[in-house]
Amino acid sequence: MRQTAGTLNRTWLTILGILCLAAGTALILQASGTLPTLLNTAPAWQSVVTGDLHAFLAPQGVAAVILIIGVIIGVLGLLWIIAQVPRRNPAGAYRLHGDGSRGFTLCDPSVLAAAVEKQINTLPGVVTSAALLRGTAYAPDLTLKVTVNDRADVQDVIHRIQTTTLPELSSALEAPLQSSRLQIDISGRTQSTGTVVHSTGTVVY
Amino acid sequence: MNPPGAHATPLPRTGDAAEDYGEAGTRGQTVLAARVIEKIAGQVASDESSAGGSSGGFLGIGTRADLSARPKASVELAGNIATLRVEVGMLYPVPLRQATEELRRRIATRVTELTGVDVRQVDIRISWLTTGTNGRRRLL
Repeated sequence: MRQTAGTLNRTWLTILGILCLAAGTALILQASGTLPTLLNTAPAWQSVVTGDLHAFLAPQGVAAVILIIGVIIGVLGLLWIIAQVPRRNPAGAYRLHGDGSRGFTLCDPSVLAAAVEKQINTLPGVVTSAALLRGTAYAPDLTLKVTVNDRADVQDVIHRIQTTTLPELSSALEAPLQSSRLQIDISGRTQSTGTVVHSTGTVVY
Repeated sequence: MNPPGAHATPLPRTGDAAEDYGEAGTRGQTVLAARVIEKIAGQVASDESSAGGSSGGFLGIGTRADLSARPKASVELAGNIATLRVEVGMLYPVPLRQATEELRRRIATRVTELTGVDVRQVDIRISWLTTGTNGRRRLL
C-alpha cells in the first residue's frame, strides 16, 4: 500500500556505481602504468603535489567552496535518507466537473476507496480489505490489499475483483484505470459476515 | 433588522399582471432567508435524484449515510444571485460525473423556479458512496 523510494534508489545507486567504476578503472590503469602512457599523465610513483598543500588551501574562497560542496552533499544525503520513509501518497480530491463554470464537483478518493472496500468485503472468503487511490480522476491508480481466510478460493476472489470491482470503479469515475495493484494476504481469521444462503426457493414472509 | 436573505424576484408573467410590477414595490417586498433556499436545494436533491444525506447522530457525531435523508446544502447570496454548496451521498457505482451534472442542473432549475433566485453555481461534494449492502452481508 505504501510507496517506497525504489526508483530513486536505483537511479542514485546507478550513478554512484558508475562513478565508483570509473574511479576504480582509472586507479587500476594508473597503477598498471597504462594511463600515463595513454594520456601522458604522471606515473604512479611520481608525486603530483609537491611541497605544502597549505598554499593551495590558503585562500578563503577555497574553504568556502569546499564547505558549500560539503553542505550540498550532506543535504542530498539527508534527503535521500528521508525519502526512504514509506509513504501512502494518496491523491487529492478528485475533480469531477468539466469547466467548472456551473460549479465544482469534488469527491475525496477515500470515499471511493471506502466504497470499493465495502464491495470487496462482501466477496466470499474476504476477511478485510484496504483500498488506496492515487493518480487523477481521469487516470486513477488503484492499490488493493485484500485479506482472505484460509478457506477462500483465491482465484475466484481475483476473478471477481477483475471482472466486477475494477470495471465498476472505472464506470463510477467514467475513466479507465491507469493501473491497479492487488496484494492478497491470508489470515486465520474467519469472515464475520454471517451465513450466506443462496436460495432459489420461494421466500415466505 | 431583517436577517440576511434574497429578495425574491417575481416570476415573469404576461398580460395585465406584468403591469403590476411597478406597484409591487409599493406594497412591500418578500425576503427569503438563506435557510429557505438551502432547505429547498436539499429537498430537490433528495426528491429528484438518487442523492442522499446523513441522518442520526448527535452534533455531527455518529451520523450515518442515509439515501432517504435530505442532503446538506448551504448558500452564498449576493443580491439575487446564489451560489449553492451541496454535500451528497450517492449509490455506487453510478457514473458520478453524469449523476452530479444532472443533480446540479435539477437543483439550479428548481431553486430558480421556486424562489426566483438566480442560481449561478452549484458546488457538489460527494461525501459518501453506498453499495446498498452496507459493506457486510445481512445476517440471517
